[in-house]
Amino acid sequence: MWQAKKTRQGGYAAKLSGELNIYNAAKLKDELMAVLERCTSLSVDMSEVSELDTSCFQLLVQAKKECAKAGKDMRITAHSPAVLEVLDLYGMESYFGDPIILTTATDR
Amino acid sequence: MAERPQDTFFEESNEMLAAMENALLALEQAPGDADLINSLFRSVHTIKGTAGVFGFDGVVSFTHVVESALDKVRAGELELTSELNTLLLSCRDHIAVLVRHAVEDSVVSDAAAARDRELLAELRQFASVSTQGAVAAVAPEVKPAAKTGGVVPSVGVNNKNWHISLRFSPEVLRHGMDPLSFLRYLTRMGELAKVIFVNLCNCSLQEMDAETCYTGLEISFCSDADREKIERVFDFVREDCRLVVLPPRAKIEEYLALIEKMDNEQDRIGEMLVRCGALTQRELEEALSLQGSARESAEGEAPRLGEVIVDRKMVAKEVVDKALHRQQENQGKTVISHSIRVDAAKLDKLVNLVGEMVIAGASTKLIAHTLGNSRLMESMSVMSRLVEEIRDSALRLRMIPIGDMFNRFQRVVRDVSKELGKNIRLEVNGGDTELDKTVIEKISDPLMHLVRNAMDHGLEAHAERSASGKEEVGTVQLNAYHDAGSIVIEVADDGRGLDEERILTKARQQGLVAEGVTLQQQDIFRLIFEPGFSTATAVTNLSGRGVGMDVVRKNIEALRGSVDIESEFGQGTIIRIRLPLTLAIIDGFLVTIGESSYVIPLDMIHECVEMESLVNTGSGKRKHVNLRGEVLPLLYLRDFFAIDDQRVERENIVVVQFGSTKAGLVVDNLIGEFQTVIKPMGRIFRDLKGVSGSTILGSGEVAIILDVPGLIQEVAEHNVAVSAGMNERNAMTVWH
Amino acid sequence: MTALAQNNGNDRAAPRLTEDSMVKDGLENGKYLSFMIKHEPYGMDILAIKEIIEYAHVTRVPRVPATIRGVINLRGNVVPVIDLAERIGLGTQPVSRRACIVVTEVRASDEVLDVGVVVDSVNAVLDIVREDVEPAPAFGSTIPVDYIQGMGRLGKEFIVLLEMKKILDMDELARLDLTQHAGVAGGR
Repeated sequence: MWQAKKTRQGGYAAKLSGELNIYNAAKLKDELMAVLERCTSLSVDMSEVSELDTSCFQLLVQAKKECAKAGKDMRITAHSPAVLEVLDLYGMESYFGDPIILTTATDR
Repeated sequence: MAERPQDTFFEESNEMLAAMENALLALEQAPGDADLINSLFRSVHTIKGTAGVFGFDGVVSFTHVVESALDKVRAGELELTSELNTLLLSCRDHIAVLVRHAVEDSVVSDAAAARDRELLAELRQFASVSTQGAVAAVAPEVKPAAKTGGVVPSVGVNNKNWHISLRFSPEVLRHGMDPLSFLRYLTRMGELAKVIFVNLCNCSLQEMDAETCYTGLEISFCSDADREKIERVFDFVREDCRLVVLPPRAKIEEYLALIEKMDNEQDRIGEMLVRCGALTQRELEEALSLQGSARESAEGEAPRLGEVIVDRKMVAKEVVDKALHRQQENQGKTVISHSIRVDAAKLDKLVNLVGEMVIAGASTKLIAHTLGNSRLMESMSVMSRLVEEIRDSALRLRMIPIGDMFNRFQRVVRDVSKELGKNIRLEVNGGDTELDKTVIEKISDPLMHLVRNAMDHGLEAHAERSASGKEEVGTVQLNAYHDAGSIVIEVADDGRGLDEERILTKARQQGLVAEGVTLQQQDIFRLIFEPGFSTATAVTNLSGRGVGMDVVRKNIEALRGSVDIESEFGQGTIIRIRLPLTLAIIDGFLVTIGESSYVIPLDMIHECVEMESLVNTGSGKRKHVNLRGEVLPLLYLRDFFAIDDQRVERENIVVVQFGSTKAGLVVDNLIGEFQTVIKPMGRIFRDLKGVSGSTILGSGEVAIILDVPGLIQEVAEHNVAVSAGMNERNAMTVWH
Repeated sequence: MTALAQNNGNDRAAPRLTEDSMVKDGLENGKYLSFMIKHEPYGMDILAIKEIIEYAHVTRVPRVPATIRGVINLRGNVVPVIDLAERIGLGTQPVSRRACIVVTEVRASDEVLDVGVVVDSVNAVLDIVREDVEPAPAFGSTIPVDYIQGMGRLGKEFIVLLEMKKILDMDELARLDLTQHAGVAGGR
């Protein structure tokens, strides 16, 4: 569910996929921490996330908060419909400061 | 680079301090002006209030005493004498120090602390002002609604939506429930007008438990459903959450009860309610004031919310709200400016991007021409025009009126005139002339020097002025106006003017001008900008140590500006600074030497001539040429830059002019004009002479921008006579 | 983090500090770019490297010492290019066909700058564990000890790991600029 690779300038690009729910929230937390520790910026591709629940979402929110505090850039680069729905329900569309890419939305 | 709330405080305080200074200076001219006194009071009051929000007690306790004194002035109990005025100016300076310490969170130095006591003691002499209870006095004042109180409290709020406030137990996720499912369910019954996701996690990601719920929700819900139906949505989670459902147009007390329930979130629940659209700002303030008075009467102690506000220090919104409140208070008194505050770095970024666009546009245009596709060329020319317009607007964004900077000199003139015992008036003209913010910042110091010089050396003492039949009050003028694409700033005085003879004598003594050389008036005046030149007989503490004017010239030249002097002996002096409107883009002229391209700023170029038209070929390398009877020294850039590429047969001369000095730069080919976006070269090139920056050509290659004044200086350094008039043929050295 | 942040309270580039500290603390996973200069392999820490580009379109800057090859356009920014061989005292030489510019990030007092360094060719990325990095020899090395971060063991061979922070010290390069430029200009 998590693949991260280093881009330039200490940035990391991560791709999340599959189900992000309470069963693998702990794993997501570990992955996030590992990459946040060493990255200067993080972009997360969520285009292949089939499910996102609150446990995982609040981890992403907190990660973004800590990034912002440390002056790091964290953004979501692509959204699956499941991710879009959560962002929409929670009114957090703009929190990750990323353009919502509409191509995924048309799949809905 | 998120702006800290403290920074907003800092900026706001600086504005207030500037307003305070202006009011004090204006009061010297118009003693007792009620509007000015009010504005003075408001400035101090605002600083105190905002400092209170942040809990900057040092600032609060000092400003409190100042404010109390001003309150007495306002009430007519205390006269604003010129002594008090001077003291208040000193207080203003001290507040500026305190504000800086507060924002930097640094310890106030012993000297500053002593100054604090000293000023307070002096203030107390003017009025018996007590420092007691200064901090406590803030609390009721930051509670703005206290003043607007008296509104009947049981009126419903102006919100037609349900408000649902949810705080889940940490266990809720583990119990197999997800807040999202309730939101989804709610959407079936109505519309989620606004959802505020409340991140309740106050630990780090690392300390977070992945299965604990840290999420809370404030929901504005638009629905026809009744309370029972809405509450039933949350039946499953009843045990695992704290639920508050408020009907549309609930009473303000109900919201107050909600706020009070959120013990640990008191500092932000109010803000969230406003963001959520449940309450208007005004309603929130009302609720808060209710809370305050309720507690006051119930517990007989200072209102707790006041403390909360003072304690919360963090949310920038408070500052904004405070500003809003202040605006309401000031309405009708001040013109509300239709402007927004933008981080200068963001603007720079924009201007930079536009610069990129200009470059990319040039490159595309080049390709269009190469392809010879007329339709493409046509559409490119439309593009180019738009890009130019965008560039101009983007550059205009950075333009600010110079007036604010000019006004800062009022204080300087006042202080210096007292120090010198001269009566001096400062006149400011053209304060609304706009120029690039960066330029304004960089020109401030040189201007300061010129103004001080004008006051110190330019203006005569009273006796001398009366003797020559002049008005006793000397005048220094700061003028600004646009002229031919650049901006002109003048520092003018009606003093004694420059003494040509004395300057020349001095320059000869100091070996700056050779004996027997005659100079034009302009060139003589220009000598005062030479390093080490000073005519001042008395070295005062203000200027005239023989340093300064050359630094002034250097600073101005660093901005690609120039300076010249007009003076009539006995009548006065005008120092005229000419500056480019912006530092980001110039019109350049592209030349090549060997395989390299170079850009020469177009406004430095006098003309271009073919070497062949002036010199017979085969006569070897000439050190100078005869240009219509004028001796033009040549600088062979190929040799100067040690370029060993293939030499061309036909060289060209670019005649550049800086001040009254001309020189010919010998290059290979002339390519043509082009709009040059200046790119900084980085610090390793900062001391490099002859190069002022770089730019990127349409082809993507970097071209070096030549620093013409620097090059001419190099020419001149090898021969003073070149700058002094070029009459002495035998003195003319060869630069090469 | 907090300790570091305090040390550099007014440093805007604070996040980069964590990266730097990792270089020191996390050397067990040290990755180095190996490259050739004058037929000898050298290494530099990969963390500071932003990108590697082909050597082309370097604009000469007049009147600078040989250490500074010129400037390039890196996506709209003008970036200085340093002749690494010359800088570490190996003398300059013509640009080889496989020459590359390694663009690195350099922190200079209050800003982060991109600086390119010219190498003859780029080899590979090496993993060198901490135990395999020996301190720089006190003498006997062809380049100044200051410029050596350590000696990385590769089997039986050693590779010199360059201390890029020292080599690309901007203030030092600017000074170099001044002193040497006088010589260049006066030489004619």
